[in-house]
Amino acid sequence: MSSGATVAAARTASAVFALLTLHHEGSTELKMAAAPVREWSDEQLKSDDLPKKDIIKFIQDNAAHSFLNDHKLLGNIKNVAKTAKKEQLIIAYNQLFESKRFKGTEPVEEVTEQVKAVKIEEKPKEVKTEVVDEGPPKFTKSVLKKGDKTNFPKKGDTVSCWYTGTLEDGTVFDTNIPTAAKKKKQAKPLSFKVGMGRVIRGWDEALLTMSKGETARLEIDPEWAYGKKGVPESKIPPNAKLIFEVELVAVD
Amino acid sequence: MALEQLSDVVQRCQALPDDSYTSEDHDVFSIAGQTCIEDGNSAQVLSIILDEKNQDLVRCMGWNLLPALIKVLLRKEDKHLHHCLAILNHLLETCRPKELLIGLLEQLEQDDAVTIAESIHLLLNPLQKVLLCLGSRKASSLSMTLSSVLDQVAKLPLPQTKDQEEDDVFSLCRCCTDLIVFIRPFVHEVRQHLLNSREQSENTDKTEGKQDKENELRTELLKFCMKSLSHPLLEVQLKDPDTLLVSPLRDFATEILNTLSDIGESLASLVHQPLLKRKQLPGFLEEEVRYPKESLASLTHLVFVHHLAADTFPSVFNPVFSLRCNMEHICFLLSRMEETRIQKGLELYEKSLVRVVDGSLPAELLEIKTFLTVPQNLVKVMTICSRHDLRIKSLKVFQLNIDKFDTEAKYNFFQYMLKISGHSGVEGYIIKNIKNQIDVTLQPGNSNTWFEGAHLLPLLRKVLILPDGPETDLLQYLDRVMESLNLLRYLVIRDKVTENQTGIWTELYKIEDMFMKPLRVGLNMSRAHYEKELQNTMEAKKSKAKEEPMLSVSVGDEKLPNMTSESQIQALHSALHTFDMIESVLVRIEELIDVKENL
Repeated sequence: MSSGATVAAARTASAVFALLTLHHEGSTELKMAAAPVREWSDEQLKSDDLPKKDIIKFIQDNAAHSFLNDHKLLGNIKNVAKTAKKEQLIIAYNQLFESKRFKGTEPVEEVTEQVKAVKIEEKPKEVKTEVVDEGPPKFTKSVLKKGDKTNFPKKGDTVSCWYTGTLEDGTVFDTNIPTAAKKKKQAKPLSFKVGMGRVIRGWDEALLTMSKGETARLEIDPEWAYGKKGVPESKIPPNAKLIFEVELVAVD
Repeated sequence: MALEQLSDVVQRCQALPDDSYTSEDHDVFSIAGQTCIEDGNSAQVLSIILDEKNQDLVRCMGWNLLPALIKVLLRKEDKHLHHCLAILNHLLETCRPKELLIGLLEQLEQDDAVTIAESIHLLLNPLQKVLLCLGSRKASSLSMTLSSVLDQVAKLPLPQTKDQEEDDVFSLCRCCTDLIVFIRPFVHEVRQHLLNSREQSENTDKTEGKQDKENELRTELLKFCMKSLSHPLLEVQLKDPDTLLVSPLRDFATEILNTLSDIGESLASLVHQPLLKRKQLPGFLEEEVRYPKESLASLTHLVFVHHLAADTFPSVFNPVFSLRCNMEHICFLLSRMEETRIQKGLELYEKSLVRVVDGSLPAELLEIKTFLTVPQNLVKVMTICSRHDLRIKSLKVFQLNIDKFDTEAKYNFFQYMLKISGHSGVEGYIIKNIKNQIDVTLQPGNSNTWFEGAHLLPLLRKVLILPDGPETDLLQYLDRVMESLNLLRYLVIRDKVTENQTGIWTELYKIEDMFMKPLRVGLNMSRAHYEKELQNTMEAKKSKAKEEPMLSVSVGDEKLPNMTSESQIQALHSALHTFDMIESVLVRIEELIDVKENL
């Protein structure tokens, strides 16, 4: 949760900084460049062939921020197109050339306005429990034997693997590999649909990076394993980091 | 006499080829032979049976001696045991397996529990020997055998307590242990075949015919395991090692699970079966018959609650996925009437929930049918089940379930339960939960969109209302009404008028109209009514006029005695006190509102 917010804030800050830099560098160029030219005649503007979106885009690209604000042309083009009538847009378009309130004509205010604008757009529209960017992945993988590097499982594919799971202290808490001692049991590789939340997250994420035939050593942080609870019946204590050696034998 | 008859028929048949024995010969041999055995002449019968010259005869007719033989063996008279056992062994080696099988199976059917148990103990070993002689044709015979044995086992009383299991008076535990020994060679055969066929999986299938036979055998063992999971395993309460160190029933359960693994049925697949779309196997049984829901539920309970066969169950599954699968089994168990099923359902539910982190179950889960059906089943148990401990436990698990939902899921769940529970106590309990959630939300750092602001109001409107307006029966709906009042009082105290985080202050005029005013009216009406009733009853008592009541109540064929006047008066007083209690909270709320609004 907090890492997501921090990242979002960081994005905002860097965007603002970039904008400031760009603007600072670009402002003299812009002033010296020629003012934008009319693309369309009045007739063309009124024509049904010219979509509202095109006009809006032109104005947004070329008008000063305060101009856009005054004419209610700020924001997502689609949304503006919904609320603005063609007549209004034609008026705004003509006004732009009359008033010459093009981009770069109001530098200081410009920066402040744009910073504000950036901030508003960066704000997430919905508070979702799933944050896309959670930070670094909570497992590491070292390849022990290379796979065919061609057959990578996708979400929903059925994968089969042999595996051994140990705790950090070396205790083996689970395995499906038949050994001499365990010959009694029927041994089959474990099959399941990958990427569907059926197994601990560390497995779901790691297996999607493996190719058929690959054997890898995975070290999974508790957050992507059994977390605070652990699994006492399976000898997994709370907050345990789990180490698995996994061989991906088949991908369906 | 019988001995002479036996000798005669034996002599006569020595000279004949075995296909020309007449049916009269068969009958004489059978009757005479059995009579000799029962009379105690088993030594002589043994010598006849062992005689070289009589082997053809024995092969054809020997099996007819089984009924008497087994009767004597079950009597356990030391004198004759030795000879009878020798006769039995020789017959097992000499006679035709199919005929022996029929003879032995017939003897399984006994009248009383003690004899049933003894006959199972006696006959399983011979039956095993016979079946092993049948070679590749054994599957159907094994099927018959296991079916008969399990039918007989079903007649035995089940041990309920630790002591009963230890004493094993009716030998159920011994039968279970015997059964495991019985099936061992067949399991071994299937396992070997599976291992071999896996190794040969590259070769073309020349042994297809043999594979079918092996599949049949495997299917019979699967059927046996599934049946055992239902009975006796679902009926008994297994004791943990701390309670009972050596438990034959627990061992039996473990062996059944091991057997399933040995015949190639992955325990994980069986537990997850409701959620997995299994390919239709070209087999002898359809899915639902092959894997009965009750057996799978029993299996899941053994794995998750008793942790049996833990070393063969993978420890990589996501606890939420396990919960989703287990909900199907839990739903099945909790929708049954038998208390054994309900108890196991509750245990499985509790164990599955405990593994999940608090507040982590997302709202999407409520789109899955079982997540709505199971709480409804819990409500039924909470309110109707006759066992007190199960009622208490189901309430505990109900709350545990709530605690595991995330905020949005809690919100949706509360709405749903208020709509469908139909029980004032449950509604009251939900309303208390709502209050707790609001309390949590109002604490710094816990802000959410569900228990404050825009979403909270629709929920509050469903709570702060009288179900039937002023005519609401306040006694029937007491739990709900009290909790609603408590919630309202809490909100009025906790939420500052100036902050109005919960929206209660802007909503107040509506609440007054929909809830507080009708409640006032209702209280007045109820109080007036009950006061009148009280007056009438007291007058009736004084005048000693015994009015015949217009209704009577019977419970289970027993008519309950009519309420005495004293009891009636007590009840009426109690009702009036209740109205006082409701009113006191209502008045307090009105006071608080007054004070706050005038600040």
